[in-house]
Amino acid sequence: MATITAPATRRRTASGTSVLAHVDVLLLVLPIAISGLGLLMIYDSSRNRLAAQGLSKYYYVERQGLAFGIGLAAMIVIMLIDYRRIRDLWALIYLAILPLLAGVIVLGRNHKGAQAWFQLGPFQFQPSEIAKVVLIVAIAGYCHQHRGDLDAWRLGVIIALSGVVMGLVYAQHDLGTTLVLLVCTSAVLVVAGLKPVHVGVLLMLGATLVGAAIITGKVQAYQFDRLTGFVDQKTEGIATPLQTPAQLSLRASKTAIASGGLTGTGLFEGLQTKNGFVPEQHTDFIFTAVGEELGFAGGATLIALYALLAWRIWRIALLSSEFFGTLIAIGVLAMLAIQVFENIGMTMGIMPITGLPLPFMSYGGSALIASFMAIGLVLNVHMRRFS
Amino acid sequence: MSDNSRVRVSIVGVVIVALFSSLVARLWFLQMGPEQKLRAEAIALSTRTVQTESPRGRILDRNGKVLARDRAAWAITLDRTLKRATRDRVLGQLSETLGRPLADLRRRYNSPRQSLLKPAIVALDIDQAKRLAILENQDEYPGVHVELLTVREYPEALKLADPTLAAQVLGYVGEIDREQLKTLTRKGYQAGALIGRDGVEAAYESVLRGVPEIESVQVDPTGKQVGTGTVVQQGSVGNDVSLTIDADLQHAAEVALQTGIDAARTHQDKTPDVAAKGFSLLKAPAGAVLVLDVRDGSVRAMASNPAFAPNGWVGGISQDDFNGLNDPLNHFPLVNRATQGQYAPGSTFKLVSSLAMNTFGIRPYNVYYNDVGKVFIGNDWFYNDKSTSNGSVALAQALTVSSDTYFYTAGDAFWNAWNAGDTARGLGLEQTARDLGFDKKTGIEIDEAPGRIPDPTWKQNFANAYYKTAAEKRDNGRWYPGDEVHLAVGQGDVLVTPLQLANAYAAFANGGALLTPHVGMAIKDGKGHLVRKIAPKPRATVAMDPAVRAQMMLGFKNVVQSGPGRPVGTAYNAFLNFPFASMPGGVAGKTGSAQVARKGPTSEFVSFFPADAPQYVVLAVVEEGGYGADIAAPIVRQVIEHMQNPAAPPTPIPNESGRD
Repeated sequence: MATITAPATRRRTASGTSVLAHVDVLLLVLPIAISGLGLLMIYDSSRNRLAAQGLSKYYYVERQGLAFGIGLAAMIVIMLIDYRRIRDLWALIYLAILPLLAGVIVLGRNHKGAQAWFQLGPFQFQPSEIAKVVLIVAIAGYCHQHRGDLDAWRLGVIIALSGVVMGLVYAQHDLGTTLVLLVCTSAVLVVAGLKPVHVGVLLMLGATLVGAAIITGKVQAYQFDRLTGFVDQKTEGIATPLQTPAQLSLRASKTAIASGGLTGTGLFEGLQTKNGFVPEQHTDFIFTAVGEELGFAGGATLIALYALLAWRIWRIALLSSEFFGTLIAIGVLAMLAIQVFENIGMTMGIMPITGLPLPFMSYGGSALIASFMAIGLVLNVHMRRFS
Repeated sequence: MSDNSRVRVSIVGVVIVALFSSLVARLWFLQMGPEQKLRAEAIALSTRTVQTESPRGRILDRNGKVLARDRAAWAITLDRTLKRATRDRVLGQLSETLGRPLADLRRRYNSPRQSLLKPAIVALDIDQAKRLAILENQDEYPGVHVELLTVREYPEALKLADPTLAAQVLGYVGEIDREQLKTLTRKGYQAGALIGRDGVEAAYESVLRGVPEIESVQVDPTGKQVGTGTVVQQGSVGNDVSLTIDADLQHAAEVALQTGIDAARTHQDKTPDVAAKGFSLLKAPAGAVLVLDVRDGSVRAMASNPAFAPNGWVGGISQDDFNGLNDPLNHFPLVNRATQGQYAPGSTFKLVSSLAMNTFGIRPYNVYYNDVGKVFIGNDWFYNDKSTSNGSVALAQALTVSSDTYFYTAGDAFWNAWNAGDTARGLGLEQTARDLGFDKKTGIEIDEAPGRIPDPTWKQNFANAYYKTAAEKRDNGRWYPGDEVHLAVGQGDVLVTPLQLANAYAAFANGGALLTPHVGMAIKDGKGHLVRKIAPKPRATVAMDPAVRAQMMLGFKNVVQSGPGRPVGTAYNAFLNFPFASMPGGVAGKTGSAQVARKGPTSEFVSFFPADAPQYVVLAVVEEGGYGADIAAPIVRQVIEHMQNPAAPPTPIPNESGRD
């Protein structure tokens, strides 16, 4: 088995100076930069639609800007708390999120087929976004406590921890987030030392559950339509009214990206974007605006920025002085990477359509704040790696 | 960190590298590869032309007061296809979100004034915050749309608290119907477009209608519009129309008319047939008031009762509402009685008879006739009202006391001339009537009826169409002495519109110029700059012997004003204590009480003032309103009083005088 060592030259010795001296500046700057681009593209893709409704062109930008500010503040607050304190409190944090998730089912507002929002005055708060970060902390905390000793019983506890959250999120009809939670849990488990035999059992269990859900009709029609819509792309190029909304969305999305070419049409010049041809463009399909107006150059650069972000987080997973830190970094890495892959893949027709936001880019305050909180955790791990 | 863990972290890294690489690869193929063909398709999305009507111009009164204008309003509409439970839930949510009472939304939804074929307008004038609350959560509001509507509003009516102000003159705006659409498509009208219906809105449609904005928009495969589109033709607001109507006077005329109608409904119907069956009140279902400038034919006020409020039809009028307005039980409020109502003119027609009998040498103005209250002509007795004997009368007195026998016998003389073969002279009465503008439309911009002056040809045609056998056609088509006799006092088959009558008196008052009455004064652009003036030229000149005119003038003055040595005129009581000295010559006029088969008499009064330098004709007609002197004349007095001094309280309608 190959051995990969962390670059020894980078490893610094502990010093007496403040932990703030060890902040990963690149990891701090990247999300802010991507968010900045996100604000620009949100404005770009929503201004005409808003104007047509007689509303302020800056409506979404202003709200997203506010969430950006809150997200930065949340990140800083999390960075200031030693992550090992958070580790010790994982059970409490985990228990705190449950009533929120349950409450939203009872009290929440139905939105786009997903019942996942609390209406707080003019704002909507989506607890499932925060739940992603909380679940990572919880599982990482539990695995940290029992590292090297993940027997079947403890694995069952982890599945229960994860299953409760996933169940509550799925009850909100939010299939996309449920799958993200599954991926995060899996990634943390893999690194925490999951035995190959357990992997086999889990895969079989998962397949049975999915099969049962489809047979008993627990998966909603629109979810199925979205998940399978990308498989059937035969009618591509010939638009017919018989296509499902998902297929139409996908077609519009691919058309927009394809029309970008190498360098794109130029900012604010994209016909598809300007005319609002892509549904949900400022949220789930924000990448289409990048693809059309900034072209392959812009799109690839954005993917590269995400890759850079992923690399910094992955690096911290290796650098962490504590196993808990490694698991946190892996969980956050999985969470962001799967969302980037699923979201961008969806816009290009290689992944099913789910309502997942593109991290730091898509309009949506709860997701943006949760992403910054996740980055805060990872930065926290990095800057306290010597203490 | 154990090596095992490092391996596992690395596996995660490898997976992520693979994922990101596949994204870049896919992006490359999509944007640079064979799927570039999608790029061409992006431009070839189906394009459609969408037309948006620009705001209509305003309708102003002569002093610039705004009678009608367009206002843009954000509205919430609700599909009518929702299930009842869903609809109730959505209405409840809307009530909460919009902060408006649920009952209010329901009332609008169920309002018969809205078309059942279109989404119902449940709330108007929604601010941005509330529109956003709905647009952001569209899934929570199934069937709810936010739409920008154009609403016609009536500021002056609002200010005067008179929702029906000048309703029939203004007309209303409604959705274009299928028939109109057939002929108007080439003018750029589309289904659903608003168009002027009736009145000034219809007459000046081409002026008021703005230039519609034409946009080229792209649509998705389901035909749904996407994006905002590009403007192909810039829209512009329609021009304003200034009317000759004076809003305050119009209001005063409407109030006076209503007062008169209310008073008439407290009077006994003394029509012999009705009175014989017992006591019953006059129905007075409708009426009209007109103020016409005799110098240029401009209409200063034109009231018609019953009226309708055009502002309730936001979003188009429904069939139910339209039917209601056309229901006989409601006495057809859409009908403009002043231009479309056709009435027997009764004694007011003696204006025509007086001129005709002098022009055609039937009986000169200075020849006296002994009125004994009744006269035998042909095979019948003809009576004055109540068989009153007026003694020896010449033209002036005959008009003042409204001697019917004076004019019956003149009618008989016309008939004899006709019967003797002198058709030109024998039909002189009909000729004079047509010279004064009767029997054809006056040419006013808004809808009007032509009226009818019967003559031997008309009667024969009518009989031919109505009767079957040749004998019936011959007997009923014959021109009898009674036909001419009745015509001479404005009875029988003669029909006039109030506007024709007012215009004929205007021609007499101004010395013989038959004008084209009009309600439009000027066209102005949206910024108030004059586009063109509206001032129709006189249609014809009616020759009048000055001596005859002077005698008629004397007779008309004495109808209203009396004094020592002057006969008591029919409208003397109605104008008791009127300050005639405040204007040269005071007020002149003529009453009329036209008998109508199976109904109460039509109460009529036409006046003009100042008698020595006439400026205005003021006319009132009340259907089934009894004597002209009782109802119509006091209405006219109130209108004239308002014109003299708007602040003074109107003189109440006096009790019945019982004079023709």
